[in-house]
Amino acid sequence: MKNNLLVSGSPHIHKPESIARIMWTVVLSLVPAGIAGVIIFGLSALWVTLLAVLAAVSTEFVFGLLTKKKITILDGSAVITGILLAFNLPSNVPLWLPVVGAVFSIAIGKQVFGGLGQNIFNPALVGRVFLMASWPKYMTTFVKPFSIDAVTSATPLAALKEGKIIEHLSYLDLFLGKHGGCIGEVCILALLIGAAILLIKGYISWHIPVTYIFTTALFTYIFGAKTLFAGDWLFHILSGGLILGAFFMATDYVATPLTAQGQLIFGVGCGLLTAIIRLWGGYPEGVAYAILMMNGATPFIDRYTKNRIYGTK
Amino acid sequence: MGLIKEFTKGLIRENPTFVLVLGLCPTLAVSVSVTNGIGMGIAATFVLIGSSLIVSLVRDFIPDKIRIPCYIVIIATFVTIAELCMKAFSPALDRALGIYVPLIVVNCIVLGRAEAYACKNNLARSFLDGLGMGVGFTLALVLISAIREFLGAGQILGHTLIKGFEPIFVFGMPSGALLVIGLLLGLFNFLKDRKA
Amino acid sequence: MSLQELLTIFISAVFIYNVILSRFLGLCSFIAISKETKPALAMSSAVMFVIVMSSAITWFVYRFLLVPFNLTYLRTISFILVIAAFVQLVEMIIRKVSPYLYRAFGIYLPLITVNCAVLGVAVLNIDMFFLKNKAVAASFYYSVFQGLCVGLGYTLAMLLMSGIRERLELCNVPKAFKDFPLAFVIAAILSLSFMGFSGFKS
Repeated sequence: MKNNLLVSGSPHIHKPESIARIMWTVVLSLVPAGIAGVIIFGLSALWVTLLAVLAAVSTEFVFGLLTKKKITILDGSAVITGILLAFNLPSNVPLWLPVVGAVFSIAIGKQVFGGLGQNIFNPALVGRVFLMASWPKYMTTFVKPFSIDAVTSATPLAALKEGKIIEHLSYLDLFLGKHGGCIGEVCILALLIGAAILLIKGYISWHIPVTYIFTTALFTYIFGAKTLFAGDWLFHILSGGLILGAFFMATDYVATPLTAQGQLIFGVGCGLLTAIIRLWGGYPEGVAYAILMMNGATPFIDRYTKNRIYGTK
Repeated sequence: MGLIKEFTKGLIRENPTFVLVLGLCPTLAVSVSVTNGIGMGIAATFVLIGSSLIVSLVRDFIPDKIRIPCYIVIIATFVTIAELCMKAFSPALDRALGIYVPLIVVNCIVLGRAEAYACKNNLARSFLDGLGMGVGFTLALVLISAIREFLGAGQILGHTLIKGFEPIFVFGMPSGALLVIGLLLGLFNFLKDRKA
Repeated sequence: MSLQELLTIFISAVFIYNVILSRFLGLCSFIAISKETKPALAMSSAVMFVIVMSSAITWFVYRFLLVPFNLTYLRTISFILVIAAFVQLVEMIIRKVSPYLYRAFGIYLPLITVNCAVLGVAVLNIDMFFLKNKAVAASFYYSVFQGLCVGLGYTLAMLLMSGIRERLELCNVPKAFKDFPLAFVIAAILSLSFMGFSGFKS
């Protein structure tokens, strides 16, 4: 959201913007990455995504009935949660996994807090870390791209963590997504197309993604190798879920700071945590954890970055 | 109020864990398996009964101003007895429960009962109150640990129940404990609202 | 005493084995006092102070009283008494010296005696830094430092939680989940996200 809250006298021009419209545009912006995922990993990626979406929407519907609130399945927010969750899963998981994850995302990540607009944490990420903690073996085996008989392969980051030499991966391969990984995170090109739509429409601002990616790059450049200032920062940007996380999950309207200043702090925090976990943590990838931790700190950031009311000190 | 009621109130109506929300640290920390839960429950019940009895016995001699330190010493004595017994007879359980055995001293249920009940009531009533609270605490522990052991390891008391069930590891972890107790409390609130 | 050892203690006490979110010590105060930031902060600073001081005191008690006289089985009783006496003393001093400070965090002091975090850290220090009742090298510094880190971890969890719960006041939370249940669910999610630090190598 841009900071264009100007107050002026009537008549006002009405703009056909609504929650549903924004949410469905976000869904549209995620489509390229989804198509890329299906091309790279085959049809199983499509089933995982569809099931996650279906489970998310049904859970939303059931909770609407239980709490006797307005049923909000048509506004598209549950669809986004389902898609984002599926994009964070490997394509070869058993098919009940996305279903369980999506139910958990919506029930615990969103509805327990009161539904749309009230969640403290990004629901999709809540689902992802739950699955990660519960069934690590499914969450960490990835399929080799374009393989028919589902040969497993490690993600570039996991290979790096285990100290293996990464087999002939050029930056172009990383950019196009020709490597193992989660469904929606591998094809940077498709993700950037989607991100461009959102940025041009003004649905997300540049503050969080840019500071997030820049901080991660800077930190991995400084500390990422045996000597200082020699880390492979481009590799860290192009691999793992950084681009997906920075543009689509760290920019959640509800769970991130309101002011530009707060968003800059949020982005830097995410970047630092991601880089620290990648370089020294036990997990190869830290995007989900970093964003969740900063989600938790968001109310606190908001409190100290309030805009000054005009005319007061 | 009948003597029986002194005992039964601790089980459900004033259950220390779910209704009074006291003594959560050990409840969450040791409830990974039912065996641990029962062990912790028995140790805490022993301390509760012992300290309730002694506090009730000496309630007329203790000066009001220093009553809390006195209670703490009484409780700590019983905790030490429980700790040493456990070390002697069941070293495996002692290792599993770790620092949470000495921490029964600061379990709010024990001190809470001494302060709120045993110091005002006679021996028999205090004994029953301590027993009831102890059993209520044990029941809550067994419930939580059964849920966690089943979901987190696919077993109850070490026996596999359903073949092919994929254990949800998170319930064996700290966050799973917090989740279980949060959802259980929510569920009980929901049922209470329904009845009212 | 090595820097690496200190860093390991810091990371594990603040994040991996966070006193509240992973060890569940001091959970009662965490749930009860985290509704607003100001009292949460006052409580945290009081807890931090008491933990650091009691880590030091109990180390001396254990090293120079219990171990030489072969009384280690009196650990629990002696520790809780020393902590209670110390807290009482601090409360009396603060009340006399600075009524302002007393109003700000003195009221939380009596609660801290029965805060399991304090006794827990004291017992943990003994378990970690005494091998077969012999103090490891620099164990005093490690104990005090671990006390400080646990206090920091407590403060971090307390701050995050109070910020979140303040915001939830404005939210339309389902009635059954108001207050306690939701606080536990939030703590569970925070605990899940702190798992990102597990397996840290320094």
